[in-house]
Amino acid sequence: MKFEDFLLMRHELLLTITAMLILMAEIFIDNKNKNAIIRGLSIALFSIVTIIGFLPAPTGALFGGMYVTSGMHVLMKNVLNIGFLIVCIQSVKWLKSDNNNDRNFEYLMLLTSTLIGMNFMISSGDFLMFYLGLELATIPIAALAAFERFSQKSAEAGVKLILSSALSSGILLYGISMIYGTTGSIYFIDIAKTFGTAPLQILAFIFFAAGMAFKISVVPFHLWTADVYEGAPVNITSYLSVISKGAAVFIFMIVLFTVFRQIVNMWQDVIYILSVLTMTIGNLFAIRQQNLKRFLAFSSIAQAGFLLLGVISGTQLGMTAVIYFALIYIFSNLAAFGVIAAISNTTGKENIKDYDGLYATNPKLSLIMTLALFSLAGIPPVAGFFGKFFLFTAAAQQGFYMLVLIAVINAVISLYYYLLVVKAMFINKSDSPIAYFKSDFSTRLSLIVCVLGLFVIGFASIIFEYIRSMSFGLLF
Amino acid sequence: MPFNIYDFTSFTQWIDKSLYDSCTPFWAMIWEMSIIGVVFLAFYAVVGLYLVYAERKICGFIQCRVGPNRVGPYGFFQTIADLIKLLMKELIYIKNADKVLFNIAPFIVIITSFLAIAAIPFAKGLHAIDFDIGVFYLMAVSSMGVIGLLLAGWSSNNKYSLIGAMRSGAQIVSYELSVGLSLVTIVVLAGTMQLSQIVELQRDGWFIFKGHIPAFIAFIIFITAGIAETNRGPFDLAEAESELTAGYHTEYSGIKFAFFFLAEYMNMFIIASIAATVFWGGWMPLHFPGLENFNHFMDFIPPFIWYIGKTAVIIFIMMWFKWTFPRLRIDQLLNLEWKYLLPINLFNVLLMAFIVLKGWELF
Amino acid sequence: MEKILALTSNQIMFIIFSAVIVMFSILTVTTRRILRAATYLLFVLVSTSGIYFMLQYQFLAAVQLTLYAGGIVVLIIFSILLTSHINQKFEAVSWKTIAFGTIASILGIVVCITSILQFQFKASTLAIQEINMKIIGRSLLNYGENGFVLPFEVISILLLAAMIAAIIIAKKVKDTKI
Repeated sequence: MKFEDFLLMRHELLLTITAMLILMAEIFIDNKNKNAIIRGLSIALFSIVTIIGFLPAPTGALFGGMYVTSGMHVLMKNVLNIGFLIVCIQSVKWLKSDNNNDRNFEYLMLLTSTLIGMNFMISSGDFLMFYLGLELATIPIAALAAFERFSQKSAEAGVKLILSSALSSGILLYGISMIYGTTGSIYFIDIAKTFGTAPLQILAFIFFAAGMAFKISVVPFHLWTADVYEGAPVNITSYLSVISKGAAVFIFMIVLFTVFRQIVNMWQDVIYILSVLTMTIGNLFAIRQQNLKRFLAFSSIAQAGFLLLGVISGTQLGMTAVIYFALIYIFSNLAAFGVIAAISNTTGKENIKDYDGLYATNPKLSLIMTLALFSLAGIPPVAGFFGKFFLFTAAAQQGFYMLVLIAVINAVISLYYYLLVVKAMFINKSDSPIAYFKSDFSTRLSLIVCVLGLFVIGFASIIFEYIRSMSFGLLF
Repeated sequence: MPFNIYDFTSFTQWIDKSLYDSCTPFWAMIWEMSIIGVVFLAFYAVVGLYLVYAERKICGFIQCRVGPNRVGPYGFFQTIADLIKLLMKELIYIKNADKVLFNIAPFIVIITSFLAIAAIPFAKGLHAIDFDIGVFYLMAVSSMGVIGLLLAGWSSNNKYSLIGAMRSGAQIVSYELSVGLSLVTIVVLAGTMQLSQIVELQRDGWFIFKGHIPAFIAFIIFITAGIAETNRGPFDLAEAESELTAGYHTEYSGIKFAFFFLAEYMNMFIIASIAATVFWGGWMPLHFPGLENFNHFMDFIPPFIWYIGKTAVIIFIMMWFKWTFPRLRIDQLLNLEWKYLLPINLFNVLLMAFIVLKGWELF
Repeated sequence: MEKILALTSNQIMFIIFSAVIVMFSILTVTTRRILRAATYLLFVLVSTSGIYFMLQYQFLAAVQLTLYAGGIVVLIIFSILLTSHINQKFEAVSWKTIAFGTIASILGIVVCITSILQFQFKASTLAIQEINMKIIGRSLLNYGENGFVLPFEVISILLLAAMIAAIIIAKKVKDTKI
């Protein structure tokens, strides 16, 4: 192994260095403005990391195949990096508050380490690295979900997250141990060669899929989602619903396409059922929610169901559509969460009813929220439409017409409840609407980035073509 | 019967062979296991009893008293009489105690010390199991005894017991690190974890001389942490008589109390044996390269005597400690470990690695 | 009796160990006292390490003892801190839960065992090699195939993050205004 080989791991290495620099800053800076310096430093470093991520890089495998990188892996990491940066910018306001001002470093450091974990997970070439990455991406998040000091709900969210993730890791590991037992290897490449359709192997796959379904919060493994999303601080909720979920879907897709390619018919059936259940139940529950965070939790469950449509196709177009949709989903969901965070941090209100008449007092925020919700629902001018369109195309190409039909019906249902929020903001009248407030620079910056993203990604077909050129389908 | 006091290898092999010749492999194994078990039990009883006797004599000497002197010459049979008294005593059952755990706890303590002693080489060939990972095994096993103490303290439904147990939990969990790291220092020097090989490597000089500065630091730390791990004074907070009556075994009586008592002394013996084996060459006679006549002369003393002698010296040091230093407070105890011993130890491992890398060890 | 004698001693040991594991696993989840559950779990883990010793994989066995016995110590300390009284028990579960739990676990056992028994495990063709500590140490720091230096390093990040996470949850509220 040569020294230049480490360039292959630049995402992980840069993020690790960033985390260590933040740690050093916390230890060695002794200054009244220490927390402001730490915030500024980390956001500057994250921006640099994000930009460097786009530079062309060598591809290949390292550590005897434990670490794999290709254009597609780099692309996925870049997508996550963008979302991560936006989340960080959005949290600045919240970090400045009295409750959290002395804990900025811990927040940023833990958030960074989860991103490191996701990157290692995406680049893993064997089940050991995959599992370690997964744990590194989950355990710190539990502490972050319990970050609010005086909120019982936040503590509950932390405990629920750690317990459910421990359970799912257990199931996942049981599946992995069966895979290892039947094939004698933990390397993806070796397993893919010999993995067959013996009952034990199918059982192993089902355990594995169940474990992953917990992480992606796919119905029927979604029960923890709503409580955790509601209790956790808004920024962590948005991080969980976008970045964590995106990373888990990416690696799930990679594993399905590479390791389990021999049993493709088998897993297509499983994913089919999961996808239908997830879309339908996620949507139906979302209608009933009053709390906006819970509402977005169920809507994000439904969106995960749509993502599975791209996964099920097993084609290059499917993978492209998944990454593309995830990118759009990051922007739209973060825009929605950004608005919720801005309002919640200022007024503490999180219910749909509180948003009555928001347009009259805060027109800009309402417009951004509307755009974000339109994008989530998939209404044409905004990017969300294109994302869903490609997902449906990918599934239809492989002959899953019935599934696409169900998905379309679900998209219509989702339109209904997204519009409920829009109606509350624009049409409903309220005696005591949320008063006008001016958001700070960081919130505005992040929202502007999100809105720009919503339009640019939808109309610049070069992005889609770029993703397509990096993707791959099932390797036969 | 090929019995040789300098090398037990052929003797043990002869026993093994004759057992396998005379019955089926299955029964031969059962017999072998039973013989080893009985030998260790007898060894336990004798060593335990005479450690107690030694402690009382040394304590008496340090406190300008005579110590036990009535039963037998110099009170030599005093502890045997004590043992008989203990066995006669009633086993008291406490109301509201968690009976299952209360009864299991002494066995956990004694079994873990049994597990540890199995891996110790007493003389050449006199070694129940010679693991490839001997040192690591000893560390693993010795960390389990604390579970017995914790359970004993909790299940007695007594606040003194509980406080004692929690103290010993905190103490052992932290000092385990130092014990482990100081052994790792020597493993770096030796390049193996197999105890028989560690002893063999000290043929041309004990590790405490070979590894000079870092080995000496490691030895000091090991003895300190070892004393703390066995809950002996000056680290005997877990059973501090003046505060907690008797700590975690306040509520135990009769044979169960004897188990705790025995386990405590045996743990001391085990720590001393490990120290003797890893730092002072175990049964290996004192050798210096170049001094052929001296080495040859030392070889005449049987290995078993060497082993017992070294262990006895270390045990004496430990008892001397106990009767000399006043008891630490809990915060002093934890400070000593986390702020001093652990950093020194980590640095010491690095130093040892550097010395081994540069080839600067003596001899 | 004839049949029992025909078994090799290894098989007998294996049967004893697995019986202990099964029995105490069941006890662990059915007992209503938290400390007893922890103790039974200890027996399960120690028996598992016994099986590793039987397989001559002493390193893994010792790791099992160190890690899990250490884990049990922490578990017991926390159980003591969380238990207010020695006779404290968990609430009794309703018979419905017990019934459904039993049915679910029996179904799970049946599915797993039948599929495991149906699988044609291939005997390893690799030569039996002694796993000594040097090989394990080298492969832990090896960056080639079957080397584990990358996971080793990633675990250190994981532990650092977990430590900070633990501190952030346990940290006292500092009144900075005074």
